[in-house]
Amino acid sequence: MYLQLNKHVKSLVLLCFTAGGVTDSLYVFVPRGNLVKAVWIPSDMIVELQSPAGKFWQTMGFSAHGKQCLHPEEALYLMECGNLQLFYQDLPLSIQEGYERFLYSKTMSVQHYQVFGHLKRLGYVVNRFDPSSVPSQYERQLNLPQSQDRSGRLPKRKRSHSPTSRHTGTQEGPTSKRMEEEKDCNREEEDKNPDSLPDLSAPDIDEIQTASHVDPTTSTKGGQGRSWWSKEGSPGPDSELPGHPQSSPRWDFSSIPFPDLGSRSWLPSSLTSPDPCLLPGAVGSVGACDVAPWLQRLNLREVRMSRRECERERDRDRYRRDINQDREVRRCRNWAEYQELQGRRIQRSRRDRPTHLWERPVTPLHDPAQVTSTGELLDKISVIKSTRLLEGASSLKGSEEWRICFNIYQPDTVAEFKKSAPGKPYSRMCVCSFDGPVPDLWTLKLLAFQSGDVPVTYAVVDHGDISFYSFKDFQIPTDTSF
Amino acid sequence: MDSPEQKITKTVSRVDASKESMANSRQVIGINFCGPTPLMWRADDLKSVRELGIIGTLVGSLARQPRQNTRLGRPLELLPEEGRLLADMGRAAVIPDSTNEDPEVNPEQVEQYHAGLENSFQEQGALALEDRKATLMRVMTKKHNGKETSSLTYRHLCETSELSVLALTALCFLLENSGSQEDSDGAVRDRLEALAHGFSFPRPAMAVQLCTARAGLSHCPEVRRFLAADWPIPRDERSETRFRVFRDLRRQGFYLTSAGKFGGDYLVYPGDPLRFHAYFIVVCISMDESMPLCDVLAIARLGSNVKKTVLLCSSGGSQEDDGEEVVYTSLQWSGMV
Repeated sequence: MYLQLNKHVKSLVLLCFTAGGVTDSLYVFVPRGNLVKAVWIPSDMIVELQSPAGKFWQTMGFSAHGKQCLHPEEALYLMECGNLQLFYQDLPLSIQEGYERFLYSKTMSVQHYQVFGHLKRLGYVVNRFDPSSVPSQYERQLNLPQSQDRSGRLPKRKRSHSPTSRHTGTQEGPTSKRMEEEKDCNREEEDKNPDSLPDLSAPDIDEIQTASHVDPTTSTKGGQGRSWWSKEGSPGPDSELPGHPQSSPRWDFSSIPFPDLGSRSWLPSSLTSPDPCLLPGAVGSVGACDVAPWLQRLNLREVRMSRRECERERDRDRYRRDINQDREVRRCRNWAEYQELQGRRIQRSRRDRPTHLWERPVTPLHDPAQVTSTGELLDKISVIKSTRLLEGASSLKGSEEWRICFNIYQPDTVAEFKKSAPGKPYSRMCVCSFDGPVPDLWTLKLLAFQSGDVPVTYAVVDHGDISFYSFKDFQIPTDTSF
Repeated sequence: MDSPEQKITKTVSRVDASKESMANSRQVIGINFCGPTPLMWRADDLKSVRELGIIGTLVGSLARQPRQNTRLGRPLELLPEEGRLLADMGRAAVIPDSTNEDPEVNPEQVEQYHAGLENSFQEQGALALEDRKATLMRVMTKKHNGKETSSLTYRHLCETSELSVLALTALCFLLENSGSQEDSDGAVRDRLEALAHGFSFPRPAMAVQLCTARAGLSHCPEVRRFLAADWPIPRDERSETRFRVFRDLRRQGFYLTSAGKFGGDYLVYPGDPLRFHAYFIVVCISMDESMPLCDVLAIARLGSNVKKTVLLCSSGGSQEDDGEEVVYTSLQWSGMV
């Protein structure tokens, strides 16, 4: 019986293997014209395409040095699918060589590639995770429009090259117009030569009729001071490299005195001239400011209270009693009697608060006379406080062992997927194995914080078998209905 | 689609049987390490390993259907214990990693590669021409026999040739409009000759071979024994326990696979996993390790849920390789006796 069955098993097994090809190779019946050629560059750990990319370019790969490039795991996956032919030293690489060359490091091991391949075969879009691409908590609060390309490429603005007149020293028109002009010329400068110093930009703007020389330092400062205007967050065309986060504001508001003209105590006659660096570029130094015309515009009249308000004030005053007016206190002839009176008064007021409970260092947790809701009361008596996953997570340092590896996007978004603006991923993946340690609370908090508001999934690889786990925040509901 | 695969199966099984009868000298199976993971790449190695009772897991894309996860292809990933057992048995050898050996372009190999491509191109061109001739013959005979064959039939015949349709449709169009039904053999011969003259197999239409396994020095099994490297996985107490349990169960004829999803170390099958469900979940613990009660309860509960018996296994205290005992304790959820 066993021998007979053995034969069947053999044929079954052979069927399994022949489905994968009896020979050691895979014959691709794709015409050679459709096979994309690429070259492996070990120094950069990058695969460079030699012929134009196919349909996979929509979700995979990136551009570098003007060429189309792929990450090693993406290239390996495309080789397995039969879309890519990879060359190294003029010879084609086999898939085995791909595994051995690409998958030896800790960042991309065989386990990482198994997870990558598994998800790609299911249709998900899988990219490498970049920690700097996660917006911080503050940025999320501000809900900024996501900048398209953080590499510093400035947006092209469609506008007519209308001449703008810039005169230093004169104040023409309202300040808003001035600021707009400055903004325009600043942006022009940025547009034309984003990386060079601004004094080179003056001859470029010859189309403008008034060729007044713009002081480069003031325009720089203007540019820097106005960095919060340009939407893309890339500051002025001088020292700051594109791609760095926005510079902190130049002004230290705690040291700049803002005079309080409405205060009654201090009425200055005139205000001193502010520091010229605080003023918009070409204004220079203004003289001292006469306060009188401004004060005239303020309402400095005394507040006349209505009758009701007067009554309210009187009632409040009523309860402020002078202790010497108190009859009982007057009856006390000496200090000891006054103390007794005080003691009696205290006891009367605290009739339901016995001294043995309330006068000791350890007092009861809750005074029944105080009205609280059930929820507050339960909070008071709770021993273990509930906490959320992200509490205290911002102070955690990074770990060598636990890293987020991939961003995952859902398969049904593939049609509109854009590599430059992928949007928020569906999940982020961390790869581990059953042989390694179980993620502890510290790891969970760390990775959840690193991931921002995107849930983290743990892909556990067990010798080819992959299981996915995720940890979700959960609050036990408290019943406050009784 | 089924028939070609069945044919392949039959021929291979015949060949395999003859090979087995011929070569009594055992072939050494090559194991390649990718980091700490043992992988196997060659198809005949996979077959021989399966016959030895080592299961492993296929982890690569299946060549013919790469975009699905139900059936995967090579490489075969082995458990470290499986690889170690094969090496100890003398049936397998670790092939050292040779990726960093050649820093420069090897002009000989490049020449060989290009020569191989050229040969393949010529062969494919000849085959394509034969294919087209056969199609043409079919079309002509159909026209002969069936008096009213529509253009659709012609196109269908053309498309089954798997090649670019343009030239062939032009030919079919000519055939359609030839009018006369008295195509003699002479006309057929003329047409075939015209085809042979005017035929050119375009280069982009060539099929190209993408290798899964590496060709090279490790190809010949005899050389593998020569090249064998030491087992690169460090041995510690836990892996030692696991290995001894694995070896003992394997000796008793069971088939073992990994059982991470079941909370244990191995799943034990009475026969090939393709035919049986697992009977046991093996959890390897060392003899002097104390297991907390809640862990025991957890694993017992898990075992009863999946209807498998849990085996707690420890290897005996002795340090010798052979002759030590493995102690098994089974946990089974039973009613009150």
